[in-house]
This record gives sequence, structure tokens and C-alpha cells, in this order.
Amino acid sequence: MTAWLVPLASFVLIVLFGKFMGPHGKGAGYLSVLAIVTSAILSLIALFGVWLPNHELPTPTHHTGEPASAGGDTKTSAGGEHAEHPNNAPPSAYFGNWYSLGEFGKLKLTIGYYIDSLTLGMFCMVGIIASCVHFYALGYMHDELHEPFVDHEVTLTSGEHLHRKGRFYRFFQYLSLFCFSMFGIVISGNLAMVFVFWELVGICSYFLIGFYIERHSASTAANKAFIVNRVGDFGMLIGMMALWSSVGTFAFGDLKNKEGDVVEVGLFSQLRTEENHYHLAPTQEIIAEESRMTGEPASAGGATESPTNKPGQWLLLIAGVGIFCGCVGKSAQFPLHVWLPDAMEGPTPVSALVHSATMVAAGVYLVGRFYPVFTPETLLVIAYIGCITLLIAATIAITATDIKRVLAYSTVSQLGYMMLSLGLGGWVAGMFHLITHAFFKGLLFLCSGSVIHAVHTNDMTQMGGLRKKMPITAYTMLVGCLAIIGAGIPLSNFGLSGYYSKDAIIEQAWSFANANPQHQILKWAPIAGAMITAFYMFRLWYLTFAGKPRDQHRFDHAHESPRVMTTPLIVLAIFAVAIGWPIFHVTDLLEQGRPVGTQATTHGELLTALVIPDEHLSHEPAIKTPAGIAAFCTAAAGLLLATVIYLWRMLNPDELKQSFKPVHAFLWNKWYFDELYHYLFVLPTKGIASIASWFDRGIIDSILHGSAAICRTGSKVVDSLFDQTMVDGTVDTFASGTWNFGLWLRRLQTGSLRQYVMFIVVGTVLLFVMITFAQSYLTPS
Amino acid sequence: MINLPANPMLFANLLTEPVGVAHYVTVGAVLFVCGALCMATKRNALGVLMGIELVLNGANLNFIAFGSPYLRSDAHNLGLDGQLMALFVIVLAAAEAAVALAIALNFYNNHDSIDVDRAAQLRG
Amino acid sequence: MDAIYWPSFFFLLFGGLACAFAVAVLLSSNIVRMAFYLVLSLAATAGLMFLAGAEFVGAMQLMIYVGGTLVLLIFGVMLTSQERFVEMHTWAGDWVKGFLAGGALLFVLIYAAFSIPAWRGIERATVEAIPAQKSVTPIAMGLLGARTDAPDRSGYLLPFEIVSVHLLVVLVGAAYLARAKRSRESKIV
Repeated sequence: MTAWLVPLASFVLIVLFGKFMGPHGKGAGYLSVLAIVTSAILSLIALFGVWLPNHELPTPTHHTGEPASAGGDTKTSAGGEHAEHPNNAPPSAYFGNWYSLGEFGKLKLTIGYYIDSLTLGMFCMVGIIASCVHFYALGYMHDELHEPFVDHEVTLTSGEHLHRKGRFYRFFQYLSLFCFSMFGIVISGNLAMVFVFWELVGICSYFLIGFYIERHSASTAANKAFIVNRVGDFGMLIGMMALWSSVGTFAFGDLKNKEGDVVEVGLFSQLRTEENHYHLAPTQEIIAEESRMTGEPASAGGATESPTNKPGQWLLLIAGVGIFCGCVGKSAQFPLHVWLPDAMEGPTPVSALVHSATMVAAGVYLVGRFYPVFTPETLLVIAYIGCITLLIAATIAITATDIKRVLAYSTVSQLGYMMLSLGLGGWVAGMFHLITHAFFKGLLFLCSGSVIHAVHTNDMTQMGGLRKKMPITAYTMLVGCLAIIGAGIPLSNFGLSGYYSKDAIIEQAWSFANANPQHQILKWAPIAGAMITAFYMFRLWYLTFAGKPRDQHRFDHAHESPRVMTTPLIVLAIFAVAIGWPIFHVTDLLEQGRPVGTQATTHGELLTALVIPDEHLSHEPAIKTPAGIAAFCTAAAGLLLATVIYLWRMLNPDELKQSFKPVHAFLWNKWYFDELYHYLFVLPTKGIASIASWFDRGIIDSILHGSAAICRTGSKVVDSLFDQTMVDGTVDTFASGTWNFGLWLRRLQTGSLRQYVMFIVVGTVLLFVMITFAQSYLTPS
Repeated sequence: MINLPANPMLFANLLTEPVGVAHYVTVGAVLFVCGALCMATKRNALGVLMGIELVLNGANLNFIAFGSPYLRSDAHNLGLDGQLMALFVIVLAAAEAAVALAIALNFYNNHDSIDVDRAAQLRG
Repeated sequence: MDAIYWPSFFFLLFGGLACAFAVAVLLSSNIVRMAFYLVLSLAATAGLMFLAGAEFVGAMQLMIYVGGTLVLLIFGVMLTSQERFVEMHTWAGDWVKGFLAGGALLFVLIYAAFSIPAWRGIERATVEAIPAQKSVTPIAMGLLGARTDAPDRSGYLLPFEIVSVHLLVVLVGAAYLARAKRSRESKIV
């Protein structure tokens, strides 16, 4: 697995000798490109040369992962003949340790590896995309080669633009470090090592967002990304501690000695033992730990479980949700999604590689890797977070005018799709979407970078008509847009890559909703999301490439990008079209890596009504047909709407903006999340900080002055509090409340006949929806 | 929760088999929605009137469908009641059209315009 | 493949026409064209009624609606059709709001229609076995209070009377409302 280490070597070399490489560090770029291409080739060799000859791809119905020996690696048990029980065996994987850092009691911290087909798939994906991005960056960052680099976005106080030295080599140094850390996350054999590399990609992201450090927005965005990620990582630490204290190991796989006997039992094997038919069950340690914390006597364990007493389930839930918190931060899910759009301040190749294809997908990857630990309740949390995220981000993307921000929100939304799918039991669907999304979103970002390179602005309102000037960019981007909306021929087996993965997710959602009628919303959200996705993606494309140029000056200066930038676009476009085709067996490869015990239909322990359906059930025609048709129709509707508004100009967007003013403002301000967090977290923190500083500075004087003032204000407060507030206030509040309520109601009474008709229509629909929901909740299914 | 009928032959046998109430109701629903949208989007008062006519027609078609022996032959058939109801609806629609037209003309005389957005005296 | 069942074919034809012209009414912004499309849509609906075995209602639809009501409407169009009112464009926001709400309503209605299995049609042989029956006489008898088709159901004599009186009142009221205002103003002056 030398693929992993090559970028590290490159990083070290650039750190040490970057300044001396070629004119202005040009050699650093070439070295870095060489390193990543080597990694990509090595990982492809590992996949096609080592893995595939030794591991048959599974047939769709049952696993035949025959054990095969390769090299000197120890090997966990391969999937076998367990036909008598429904759940699947662990996937075949290589697991081992390179170096042991230390032992703390039961816990061993090691640097190890855990390689299964998922790891290899991720390796190839990261390698290919990173190679494309590196090539692209050679062209995109060309400006940095000039000795006095002029940053037009920064205006100094003297009124001039900032002049600084080019930082070409430094950019590639960070990129190499990032690639190394990303490969590290994927290959890690235990949770502690994941965490180390997790933080490493975080810091790389910080460096790269803040690459244009002189721009104020870039440096604050970098800070924001870093701090928001810390919030998530805090949760992850809690989850790690919960696992450590209860299970006592971070290792993913079982460690075996040369004879093949198990020496140390890994995390997954402890939680899903073979005796238990690979169903998730808390171990004795977890039960003991939980009863120690709650103070209740430990029950005898799994044998005497009663329906009301589920020992160990809560602790598992905490561990699972804790781990998921880390993924929420990294993958920019709902409460912590605010950092990703701001992270677009970094150079575009960074956005393509770090903030769309790989790093943010690491959260999804970790959820997928940790799948055996998650209880059905945890999965439900994941599903709801994903559902909320995908809707919120998609709606914000409708109004954004910054081309990269639209893509950023689209990324958040697609990550929500993946989380939703994983939470609903669609492991393969989610991972498949992760890989296809990486390709087409990388492509979209690189295309947008090409546009920005040509017109020197991010603002879509100043673009338009660029199709004639830069045809390659325009049509590769069109391919990306079609791929992201899942274009394909419904009910057939032919489409772009997004067609397969998105349909798989929607089918899984459909199947889940059939099994759990009380969670209908999880079925409709992805479908609505598909429509919004189609709308904003084509809005983006039409605004940028179609129509008439809106800024003639910028249009005249636009030009197609050099070949070093367009070639990666074409390569990625080919991948975006073809990666999902069944002849490439990507889903089969992923199916081979399906984590232990996640295939069968499982039931919740705490929420007994919860059913996570078997993923294979979602491919039955009774679900596949309506889901496919619904996905196609909604996507087509979104596309049509975008075409009507932005291409044919039949409806005037400005008029629309006017008549949906409150909605537009709400979306424009990103659901006021930034403001909310500003008031909820930033201001109190600042307040506490200023209180602390005041306390430090003037403690002695202030006590004297303060006590007097407190006495004086105290008496005032009593007066105003009781007399003016309590007595007068009650009456006043009541009166003004009624008055305001009346004023608010008055606005409903618009006097416009047409609006009344609209109210009637909406009311009818709402009534029907409410009745349907009430029915599905009240009647036992 | 009701599921959509998973009948892949839904459209294939439309030509060789008799249609049912549901198909009539679908046409009625399209007429109804078009009419309602006419009422909601047209600024011309006469356009609103035409919307009302469409809505009434959609409802009428449903009455006919529920009463037809060819579409549904069980005990829940409305029988002739459906047709009688439809007749009453037609007559009332005629009356409604006459009055509404009179109102529209009056409005036109008073406001010198036929734009219903001008008629916002009911604003609270 | 069975032979084509012609009533179904005509249902598709007339239903398609009715829907298409209804949509045309909705999308057109010229009031004169709207009136024309409305005539065609209503005529196609009359065809559907014939197909469903309601000849009398279909004929009334053609006569009263297409022949009467719409002529009235077209008079209205002519009386008010100044240059600026012939083409009145709808605001774009209204379109989007309307299509969102209307699409949802349409989805709900069709979903409901097809969720009842008994509504999805009956066997071809059963339909062909139903004897054709004239509906004019039973309707006339029903309006006069005697039901010949279903003796256990009540007649419609009272509603018939009420509707007659109602029509009269409405016509008088309409004439009153729409009368020329000038005579009164001149009186006041």
C-alpha cells in the first residue's frame, strides 16, 4: 500500500526544498502531480491486480467471498457458507498493524490497516480525482508563478492591490499533505488512527481555505470551518470514549497470528458475534458499563432481556450518535453545515478536491465504515439529519448567485442524500452515491473554476452566453448537471452515473417508508429534493452558459481554458457518464465490502416499531417501478421549470423574486443560520470573554463602584420590575398582543379575489395531506 | 397508507378494455384544476368567470360518471340521480353566469377596468 | 391483442380534447381566444357525457352551455374588450404559486381516484351485456316527482320548482344589476 505514502514523500520534499525547485517552485507542482499519479496507478493496480483476481465479485443473492491468500498479510475470516441464518458474514478484508504506539490498559493504540473492497474503491476514486485536480491546478494556479503576484480581491489601504510572492509550491505542498491524510483515513485500521488523519485533513482544509490569507473573507472562512469542525469532533470524542470504556478496542478487524487463530477480537466482531448470527448485540462489557453509570444492578445479560429492559442499548446509541457527530461536522450536515459554503473562498481546485469529492465525503465514509456499530435508532437519527440537510441545502441553492456557492449547497444536499440512504439501510446505495457524486461534483467544480478563470468573477448574474466562448467547459458541465440530476431512461438500465445511485437511494427510501408508515416524510423528501436539484443545477447552467451575455466587458475577455485544464474536465466527464454503468460492477464491488451483519431486515430495540429493511428488497419491481417513475418525473419537472424561467424567459425571474419576497429573503439569508449561530453562540462567547476581561482588568475598583451601583439599580429594578412590569405589563401585553394578532390577521385579508381562490386550493390539499397522515399514524398498520 | 396501483398495464389496455369511473374522474380533475387555476391567475374578470365554468363542468362530469351504468355497475351507482344533479348544476351555472356577468359589467362601469386586482375593497 | 373497444377510443379522444382545451384556456392570455377554447372544451365534455350514457344531459350541455351561457360570456367579452383588456398577462409569481398549488391538487385528486379499485372499470363482456336505455323519459318523470327507474328513490319535484323560481329571480336580478346607470344619474342631477 505504498500508494498512501507517496504523497507524504512529496509533501516532505516540498516542505524541505520547495523554494528551490525550479523557477518559483514550479518543480514542486510537477513533483506533486507525479506523486499523486503514482498513487492513483498503484491503487488501481491494487484493485485490479491484487484484489479482483483473488476475490470473486458477489452474485446479487448470496456471498461467495472465498478466502484467498495474498502476500504476508494476516486476514480476517472471509464470508462463508452461512446459509442457515439470514444475516451476512463479515466481508473479506486484510487487517493488521504496522506499528504499535503504546498500550494503555486494555487499549492498544496502533497504526494499522484495514483493507476491503470499500477501501480499495475509495482509494481509486480519490486517486483518480486527485490526479485530475492536480493537473488542473497546474493550469489554474499558474498566476501564482509570477514573482509579484497581484491579488485583485485585496485592496490595501493605499488603494493598491496587494502584491506578494507567488505561493505555487506551497499550494501543492498542502495538496499533497491532504492526499496523504485522505488516504490515511481510508486505510486506517482503527478508530484512533482515523481520528488522527481526520484532524489532519481538517488542518489541510484550514490551510487551503485560507490560502488567500490576505483576503479577510478567506481567513474568517478558514477559522469558521475549523471551529465548526471542532464542535463535531467533540461529539466524536465522546463516542470514542464510550466505545473505549465499554468495548476496549478501537480496531476494526480481528487480529490473527500466522496460523490464523484470532489473537485480538476487533470492534465489529465483538458487537456482532457469529453465535448471534451477526445481529447487533451489546457485549457484556457494554452492559456492565451502562449499569455502572446508571447505578442499576447489571442484569444477567442478553439471555434475560425483557422488552422494557434493553441493557446496553443506550450506551450503543450514545456511541453511535457520538461518532456520527464527527461525521456531521466533517460532512457539513444540518446543524453544522454552515462552514462548507464559506469554505468556497479557497482556490477552486481545492473546492473540487477537498470540499466536494473527498474530505466532506470522509464523514459519509466513516458512517459507512462504522455501520456495524450503529443501532437502528442511531440510523434513524442519521436518516433524519440527512433528510433535513438535503432539503435545507437544496432550497438555499435555489437563490444563491455565486456559482461556487450553488455547487457548495448542492454538495451539502447530496451528502444529505448519502446520509439519508445510509440511515435507511441503503449501505450500498449510499456508498455508490458517494463515489458517483465525487466524480460529477469534482467535474462541476472544475468547470466552475474554468469559468471563474475566464471571467474573473463568481457572480452568475454577470455571466451568460459563455457557451460560445468556452464550449468544452460548457458541455462537460452539462454532462455534470445531467449526471447530478440522475438523467436516464426510466425503467431501463441506461443513464448517467447519478441515475443509478440516486434511484437506488430513492428506492431504498420507498422501501423504508413502506415498512415504516410513520416515517413517510423520509420517502417524499428525497423525491422533492430531486426536483429542487434539477431546478438549481440547470438554473446554474442556463445563467452561466445560455442566453445573452449580461456583462459585455467580461464576456469579451472570456476565453476557453488551456488544455491542461480542459483535459481533466473531459476525463472526469467520461467518468461521470460511465462510472455507474453496470458493466463496471461498482455496486458489486461495494456489495463485496458490505459490513458485517447489515444485510438482513433489522428491528429497533428501543423503538420497537422501527424496521430497517433489507437493502435487496428495494430492487423488487413493486418498489423500483413507482420509485423510478417518481424520480424521473420530479427531476424532469424541475428541469422544465428551470428551462421555462431561465432559458425561454417565459416567466420573469425578477417578478418572481418580487412576489416571493419573504421566501426569497429567507433563502437568500440561508435560513438565517449564520445569524442564529451568531446570536446563540458567538455573542454569548464574546460576552463571556468581555466579562472575563473586565473582571481581569478592573476587579478592585469595580467591586467598590459596582456594589454601590448594584444597590442603586437594585432598588430601581424592584420598582420598575414590580410596578411597571408586573402590573402594568400584564395588561399592556394582553392588549398589545390582541392588537398585534389582529394586525397580523389583517394581512391575510388581502381583498384580492384570486388570492382567496389560491387559499381554497391550498387548504384542500393540506386537508387531504393531514387526513392521510392522521390515517397512517392512527390506524395500526 | 394507500399505495399507488402497481399495474403496469394501466395504459396498455385502455384501448381494448372499457374505461372506469377513475378515468372520468381524472378528466374531471384536470378540468377542475384548470378552472381553479384560471380563477387564481387570470386578472380579467371574464377569465375568472370562465374558470368558474370549467370548475362546474369538472364537477358535472364527475356526477355523470358516478351515475353511469357503463362505468360502474354495483350497488353504489348513483343511477339517474347523477344525471338529474348534473342538470341542476347546468341550470344553476347558467343563472350564475348571468348574474356574474351583470356584476362584471357593473364593475366595468364603475371602475372603468375589468382587472380584478383593482377590486380590493375587501382588504382588511 | 383484442379488437379496439371504440367507446374507450372515443373516451380518450374526447377526454384528451377536453383536457387540452382546458389547459389552453388556462395558458392563453387573450380573452377572446380563451372564450373560443372554452367552447371547444365544453363541447368535448358533452361528448364524454354522451359516451357515459347520459344523452339528455349531454344535449343540455351543448344547448344551454355552449349555446346559451357562452354566448352570454362572449357578449361580456365584446362589451368590455377595450384594447388594454384583451391581453392581460398574469404575474410570473402567480403562475408559479398556481402551478405548485394546482399540481398538488391534481396529484391528490388523481391519486384518490385511482386508489379505489372499484372505480377502475368493469369487464368488457359485462359492459356489452348492458342494454341501451333511453334516459329522457325517466329524467322527465324524475323531475315531476315519480321515479320510474328506481322506485325507492325520491323524486325531484320540489327542487325543480325551486330552481325554476330561482332562475326567474336571477334573470330579473341580472337585468337589474346590468341596466344602464345613466338614467338614474340623470335623475339625481
